[in-house]
Amino acid sequence: MAELDPLIHPPARLQVVTTLSAVSEAEFATLRSVLEVSDSVLSKHISALADAGYVCSRKGVRAGRRTTWIRLTSAGREALREHVAALRRLIDVVD
Amino acid sequence: MESMPVQQDPDDPRSALAEADRARQRLAAGLRLPTGLHPALAAAVAVQVGTAAYGIAAQTAAGLVVALAGAAVFLGVAALALHQFRRVNGVRVDGLASQIVLGAGAMSTLVYMGAFVAATWAAFESRWWLVAATAAAGGVGYAFCALRWWHTYRQDPAAHAGGASPRVLGVLAVLACLGLVALVATG
Repeated sequence: MAELDPLIHPPARLQVVTTLSAVSEAEFATLRSVLEVSDSVLSKHISALADAGYVCSRKGVRAGRRTTWIRLTSAGREALREHVAALRRLIDVVD
Repeated sequence: MESMPVQQDPDDPRSALAEADRARQRLAAGLRLPTGLHPALAAAVAVQVGTAAYGIAAQTAAGLVVALAGAAVFLGVAALALHQFRRVNGVRVDGLASQIVLGAGAMSTLVYMGAFVAATWAAFESRWWLVAATAAAGGVGYAFCALRWWHTYRQDPAAHAGGASPRVLGVLAVLACLGLVALVATG
C-alpha cells in the first residue's frame, strides 16, 4: 500500500509536482508565476526534488534569454501518484 | 526513495490536494494556442494530403518532389506552431505535439486516412476537384480533432499531457518522408 511521501508532503512541493504533471516540461519562470512564489523558494524546492530524482532540469534559451526548463521524471510521476492515493485514503478514513 | 509515516491533521490532506489541483488548473487554464493554429493546420494537412495523392498517382520524379514539398509544408507549419506554443506559454506539452504532428487518436487517424485514401483514388482517376475537396475536408477534420483534444486536455491536463517526445516525432517525420518516397518509387 502506498504511503505518504515526506519529500512531496509539504503543500508547496505537492503543488510543484502536481503542476508539473500537467505538462511535459515547464520553464522555471512559468512555474514561479503559476505557483506565486519567489525564485529562491522555488529553487530550493526544485533542488530537493532533483536530488531525489523526482524532477530534472536543463538550461535553454527562450526569446534570446537563458532559461531553465524543468520536467517531472517518471519516478516523480510515480511518487506523486502514490502520494495522492495515500492522501485520498486518509481523507476516506476521516470521512 | 525511503518513505516514512507523516503525522497528518485530518483537515490538511483535503486542502493540500485542492490547492495543488488549483495550481495545476491555473497553469492549464492560462495556456494559449498560437493565433491561427487551426486554419493553418487545416491548410497544411490539406496541402500534404493533396500533394501526396498527386505524387503517388503521377509516379514521376516531379510527382515525388511535389509530394515531398507538401510534407515539408506540413512539417514546417507543425514545427512553427509548436515552437510558438512553447515560446508563448513557457511550457512543452508532448500530447499536443503528438496531436498536431501525428494526429494521435482514433478520430484523427480515421479522418486523415479517409481523406488520404479518397484523395489518392481521385488522383488516379484524374478527378482533381475531388482531390482538392477531400484534401480540404481532411484538413478541416484533422484541425477539428486537434481542437477537440485541446478541450479534453484543459479539463484533465495530467491525463493528456504525455505523448511522443520531439526526438521521436523527428524520427517519425523522417520515416514518413522515406515511406512517401518508397510509395512513389514503387507505385
